[in-house]
Amino acid sequence: MMVNPTVTEPWLDAPLRRLIGDARLISGVFLLPSGRALGQFGFRDAGEVMSVCALVSAINASAQELGRQLDGKPFYEMHHPGVDRQVFMARAFVGPQEYLFVGVFDNDSSLGLVEMYFAEFQQSLGNIVPQAQAAAPGPSGDFEGELNRSLDALFGPLR
Amino acid sequence: MRAAMTEMVSALSFLPGVAAAMVVGADDGLIVEASAPRSGQAAAADQRRHTAALAAYLYGKVGRASNMARLGIPAFMRLEAEGGQVCIVGSREVVLVAILDRDANLGRVRLEMMQAAQSR
Repeated sequence: MMVNPTVTEPWLDAPLRRLIGDARLISGVFLLPSGRALGQFGFRDAGEVMSVCALVSAINASAQELGRQLDGKPFYEMHHPGVDRQVFMARAFVGPQEYLFVGVFDNDSSLGLVEMYFAEFQQSLGNIVPQAQAAAPGPSGDFEGELNRSLDALFGPLR
Repeated sequence: MRAAMTEMVSALSFLPGVAAAMVVGADDGLIVEASAPRSGQAAAADQRRHTAALAAYLYGKVGRASNMARLGIPAFMRLEAEGGQVCIVGSREVVLVAILDRDANLGRVRLEMMQAAQSR
Protein backbone atom coordinates (compact mmCIF):
# COMPACT_ATOMS: atom_id res chain seq x y z
CA MET A 1 0.00 0.00 0.00
CA MET A 2 1.39 3.40 -0.97
CA VAL A 3 1.67 6.10 1.68
CA ASN A 4 0.43 9.55 0.70
CA PRO A 5 2.80 12.46 1.11
CA THR A 6 1.96 15.85 2.59
CA VAL A 7 3.88 18.77 1.11
CA THR A 8 4.23 22.48 1.71
CA GLU A 9 5.16 23.16 -1.94
CA PRO A 10 2.77 22.00 -4.68
CA TRP A 11 5.59 21.35 -7.20
CA LEU A 12 6.91 18.60 -4.96
CA ASP A 13 3.72 16.56 -4.78
CA ALA A 14 3.74 14.69 -8.10
CA PRO A 15 7.47 13.81 -8.23
CA LEU A 16 7.43 12.70 -4.60
CA ARG A 17 4.36 10.52 -5.12
CA ARG A 18 6.05 8.87 -8.09
CA LEU A 19 9.24 8.25 -6.12
CA ILE A 20 7.34 6.73 -3.19
CA GLY A 21 5.35 4.41 -5.44
CA ASP A 22 8.17 3.37 -7.77
CA ALA A 23 10.85 2.87 -5.13
CA ARG A 24 8.34 1.38 -2.67
CA LEU A 25 9.42 3.65 0.16
CA ILE A 26 7.88 3.33 3.62
CA SER A 27 8.61 6.77 5.01
CA GLY A 28 10.74 9.78 4.24
CA VAL A 29 11.25 13.53 4.38
CA PHE A 30 12.26 16.10 1.78
CA LEU A 31 13.88 19.09 3.41
CA LEU A 32 16.20 22.04 3.15
CA PRO A 33 19.73 21.53 4.54
CA SER A 34 18.70 23.92 7.33
CA GLY A 35 16.17 21.34 8.53
CA ARG A 36 12.98 22.89 7.20
CA ALA A 37 10.69 20.12 5.91
CA LEU A 38 8.95 20.58 2.57
CA GLY A 39 7.38 17.17 2.33
CA GLN A 40 6.94 14.03 4.37
CA PHE A 41 5.29 10.66 4.11
CA GLY A 42 4.82 7.72 6.46
CA PHE A 43 5.13 9.70 9.71
CA ARG A 44 2.28 10.05 12.16
CA ASP A 45 3.09 13.32 13.88
CA ALA A 46 5.17 16.47 13.75
CA GLY A 47 7.45 15.31 16.54
CA GLU A 48 8.75 12.40 14.48
CA VAL A 49 9.41 14.61 11.47
CA MET A 50 11.10 17.21 13.67
CA SER A 51 13.54 14.58 14.97
CA VAL A 52 14.22 13.26 11.47
CA CYS A 53 14.83 16.76 10.09
CA ALA A 54 17.25 17.66 12.87
CA LEU A 55 19.11 14.35 12.47
CA VAL A 56 19.28 14.48 8.67
CA SER A 57 20.49 18.05 8.77
CA ALA A 58 23.23 17.12 11.24
CA ILE A 59 24.16 13.91 9.40
CA ASN A 60 24.43 15.83 6.13
CA ALA A 61 26.74 18.42 7.67
CA SER A 62 28.86 15.72 9.32
CA ALA A 63 29.03 13.58 6.17
CA GLN A 64 30.11 16.53 4.07
CA GLU A 65 32.90 17.37 6.49
CA LEU A 66 33.91 13.72 6.88
CA GLY A 67 34.14 13.42 3.10
CA ARG A 68 36.28 16.54 2.88
CA GLN A 69 38.67 15.17 5.47
CA LEU A 70 38.85 11.61 4.16
CA ASP A 71 38.44 12.04 0.44
CA GLY A 72 39.04 15.72 -0.26
CA LYS A 73 35.41 16.20 -1.29
CA PRO A 74 32.08 16.02 0.57
CA PHE A 75 30.04 12.82 0.81
CA TYR A 76 26.56 13.48 -0.51
CA GLU A 77 24.87 10.10 -0.50
CA MET A 78 24.42 7.68 2.36
CA HIS A 79 22.95 4.22 2.68
CA HIS A 80 22.55 2.41 5.95
CA PRO A 81 21.18 -1.14 5.88
CA GLY A 82 19.49 -2.29 9.06
CA VAL A 83 18.15 -5.73 9.86
CA ASP A 84 14.65 -5.14 8.48
CA ARG A 85 14.78 -1.61 7.14
CA GLN A 86 17.28 0.50 5.26
CA VAL A 87 17.88 4.23 5.09
CA PHE A 88 18.84 6.13 1.96
CA MET A 89 19.92 9.76 2.13
CA ALA A 90 20.86 11.98 -0.78
CA ARG A 91 20.57 15.51 -2.08
CA ALA A 92 18.64 17.01 -4.96
CA PHE A 93 18.67 20.39 -6.63
CA VAL A 94 15.89 22.65 -7.76
CA GLY A 95 17.79 25.29 -9.65
CA PRO A 96 20.64 26.42 -7.41
CA GLN A 97 18.80 25.45 -4.22
CA GLU A 98 20.01 22.29 -2.52
CA TYR A 99 17.54 19.96 -0.82
CA LEU A 100 18.00 16.79 1.18
CA PHE A 101 15.99 13.62 1.01
CA VAL A 102 15.84 10.71 3.40
CA GLY A 103 13.83 7.61 2.64
CA VAL A 104 13.24 4.33 4.43
CA PHE A 105 12.62 1.06 2.63
CA ASP A 106 12.53 -2.64 3.46
CA ASN A 107 13.01 -5.91 1.60
CA ASP A 108 10.14 -5.04 -0.70
CA SER A 109 12.59 -2.71 -2.46
CA SER A 110 16.36 -2.54 -2.89
CA LEU A 111 19.15 0.03 -2.89
CA GLY A 112 19.52 -0.34 -6.64
CA LEU A 113 15.84 0.44 -7.17
CA VAL A 114 15.86 3.39 -4.78
CA GLU A 115 18.97 4.86 -6.40
CA MET A 116 17.48 4.44 -9.84
CA TYR A 117 14.15 6.07 -9.04
CA PHE A 118 15.82 8.79 -6.99
CA ALA A 119 17.84 9.74 -10.08
CA GLU A 120 14.53 10.07 -11.97
CA PHE A 121 13.15 12.15 -9.10
CA GLN A 122 16.18 14.46 -9.30
CA GLN A 123 15.60 14.85 -13.04
CA SER A 124 11.93 15.64 -12.63
CA LEU A 125 12.74 18.30 -10.04
CA GLY A 126 15.23 19.79 -12.47
CA ASN A 127 12.39 20.27 -14.95
CA ILE A 128 10.29 22.44 -12.63
CA VAL A 129 12.91 24.96 -11.63
CA PRO A 130 11.40 28.41 -12.25
CA GLN A 131 8.16 28.15 -10.28
CA ALA A 132 9.81 26.17 -7.52
CA GLN A 133 12.37 28.82 -6.71
CA ALA A 134 9.77 31.48 -6.13
CA ALA A 135 7.81 29.24 -3.81
CA ALA A 136 10.69 28.00 -1.66
CA PRO A 137 12.73 30.80 -0.12
CA GLY A 138 16.12 29.96 1.35
CA PRO A 139 16.84 29.59 5.07
CA SER A 140 16.50 32.69 7.22
CA GLY A 141 18.83 31.54 9.98
CA ASP A 142 15.94 30.95 12.36
CA PHE A 143 16.32 27.16 12.47
CA GLU A 144 13.69 26.45 15.11
CA GLY A 145 11.15 28.91 13.71
CA GLU A 146 11.52 27.53 10.19
CA LEU A 147 11.23 23.96 11.39
CA ASN A 148 8.08 24.73 13.40
CA ARG A 149 6.46 26.62 10.54
CA SER A 150 7.12 23.79 8.09
CA LEU A 151 5.77 21.22 10.55
CA ASP A 152 2.65 23.34 11.07
CA ALA A 153 2.17 23.36 7.31
CA LEU A 154 2.55 19.57 7.09
CA PHE A 155 0.55 18.48 10.13
CA GLY A 156 -1.45 21.54 11.16
CA PRO A 157 -0.66 23.79 14.14
CA LEU A 158 -0.03 22.11 17.50
CA ARG A 159 -2.84 22.59 19.98
CA MET B 1 35.75 -15.08 -6.20
CA ARG B 2 35.90 -11.78 -8.10
CA ALA B 3 38.05 -13.42 -10.78
CA ALA B 4 35.51 -16.21 -11.16
CA MET B 5 32.71 -13.69 -11.66
CA THR B 6 34.74 -11.73 -14.20
CA GLU B 7 35.36 -14.95 -16.07
CA MET B 8 31.66 -15.85 -15.85
CA VAL B 9 30.38 -12.59 -17.39
CA SER B 10 33.17 -12.58 -19.93
CA ALA B 11 32.35 -16.11 -21.10
CA LEU B 12 28.64 -15.29 -21.32
CA SER B 13 29.16 -12.03 -23.16
CA PHE B 14 31.11 -13.79 -25.92
CA LEU B 15 28.19 -16.08 -26.75
CA PRO B 16 26.44 -15.13 -29.99
CA GLY B 17 23.58 -12.70 -29.45
CA VAL B 18 24.46 -11.77 -25.85
CA ALA B 19 24.39 -7.97 -25.63
CA ALA B 20 25.42 -7.79 -21.99
CA ALA B 21 26.04 -10.06 -19.02
CA MET B 22 26.07 -9.01 -15.39
CA VAL B 23 26.42 -10.43 -11.91
CA VAL B 24 24.06 -8.48 -9.65
CA GLY B 25 23.51 -8.46 -5.90
CA ALA B 26 20.26 -10.33 -5.24
CA ASP B 27 19.27 -8.13 -2.29
CA ASP B 28 20.54 -4.70 -3.30
CA GLY B 29 20.24 -4.91 -7.10
CA LEU B 30 23.69 -3.39 -7.56
CA ILE B 31 26.09 -4.58 -10.25
CA VAL B 32 28.95 -6.70 -8.95
CA GLU B 33 30.51 -7.44 -12.31
CA ALA B 34 29.49 -6.55 -15.86
CA SER B 35 30.76 -7.31 -19.33
CA ALA B 36 32.38 -4.53 -21.34
CA PRO B 37 29.85 -2.46 -23.27
CA ARG B 38 29.63 -2.97 -26.99
CA SER B 39 31.29 -0.26 -29.06
CA GLY B 40 29.11 2.81 -29.64
CA GLN B 41 27.06 2.34 -26.45
CA ALA B 42 28.05 5.42 -24.48
CA ALA B 43 24.80 5.58 -22.49
CA ALA B 44 24.97 1.88 -21.63
CA ALA B 45 26.16 2.29 -18.02
CA ASP B 46 22.93 3.84 -16.76
CA GLN B 47 20.78 1.41 -18.72
CA ARG B 48 22.69 -1.51 -17.26
CA ARG B 49 22.38 -0.23 -13.72
CA HIS B 50 18.64 0.14 -14.22
CA THR B 51 18.30 -3.27 -15.83
CA ALA B 52 20.33 -4.83 -13.02
CA ALA B 53 18.21 -3.24 -10.29
CA LEU B 54 14.93 -4.19 -11.95
CA ALA B 55 16.05 -7.70 -12.88
CA ALA B 56 17.13 -8.49 -9.31
CA TYR B 57 13.86 -7.06 -7.99
CA LEU B 58 11.84 -9.07 -10.50
CA TYR B 59 13.71 -12.24 -9.66
CA GLY B 60 13.00 -11.67 -5.99
CA LYS B 61 9.28 -11.26 -6.69
CA VAL B 62 9.16 -14.32 -8.92
CA GLY B 63 10.94 -16.24 -6.17
CA ARG B 64 8.21 -15.24 -3.74
CA ALA B 65 5.50 -16.30 -6.17
CA SER B 66 7.27 -19.58 -6.79
CA ASN B 67 7.54 -20.21 -3.06
CA MET B 68 3.89 -19.38 -2.52
CA ALA B 69 3.02 -21.92 -5.20
CA ARG B 70 5.24 -24.40 -3.37
CA LEU B 71 7.50 -24.75 -6.37
CA GLY B 72 10.72 -23.79 -4.65
CA ILE B 73 13.43 -21.50 -5.97
CA PRO B 74 13.07 -20.45 -9.62
CA ALA B 75 15.70 -22.18 -11.73
CA PHE B 76 15.67 -19.95 -14.77
CA MET B 77 13.72 -16.85 -15.69
CA ARG B 78 13.25 -15.48 -19.18
CA LEU B 79 11.54 -12.25 -20.13
CA GLU B 80 10.72 -11.99 -23.81
CA ALA B 81 10.37 -8.50 -25.26
CA GLU B 82 10.00 -7.01 -28.75
CA GLY B 83 13.70 -6.45 -29.25
CA GLY B 84 15.17 -9.40 -27.37
CA GLN B 85 15.19 -11.20 -24.07
CA VAL B 86 16.40 -10.86 -20.52
CA CYS B 87 17.50 -14.05 -18.79
CA ILE B 88 18.04 -14.33 -15.05
CA VAL B 89 19.44 -17.14 -12.96
CA GLY B 90 19.87 -16.96 -9.19
CA SER B 91 22.95 -18.22 -7.42
CA ARG B 92 22.85 -17.69 -3.66
CA GLU B 93 23.48 -14.00 -2.91
CA VAL B 94 23.77 -12.93 -6.56
CA VAL B 95 21.75 -13.20 -9.75
CA LEU B 96 23.23 -13.67 -13.17
CA VAL B 97 21.58 -11.44 -15.78
CA ALA B 98 22.01 -11.67 -19.54
CA ILE B 99 20.48 -9.35 -22.11
CA LEU B 100 20.02 -11.10 -25.44
CA ASP B 101 19.38 -9.93 -28.96
CA ARG B 102 16.42 -11.38 -30.80
CA ASP B 103 18.58 -13.85 -32.71
CA ALA B 104 20.53 -15.19 -29.73
CA ASN B 105 20.95 -18.92 -29.19
CA LEU B 106 18.73 -19.20 -26.11
CA GLY B 107 19.47 -22.88 -25.52
CA ARG B 108 23.17 -22.32 -25.28
CA VAL B 109 22.82 -19.19 -23.16
CA ARG B 110 20.51 -21.01 -20.77
CA LEU B 111 22.91 -23.93 -20.44
CA GLU B 112 25.89 -21.65 -19.81
CA MET B 113 23.99 -19.61 -17.25
CA MET B 114 22.75 -22.66 -15.37
CA GLN B 115 26.23 -24.17 -15.31
CA ALA B 116 27.74 -20.89 -14.16
CA ALA B 117 25.20 -20.60 -11.35
CA GLN B 118 25.77 -24.19 -10.21
CA SER B 119 29.54 -23.86 -10.28
CA ARG B 120 29.54 -20.97 -7.78
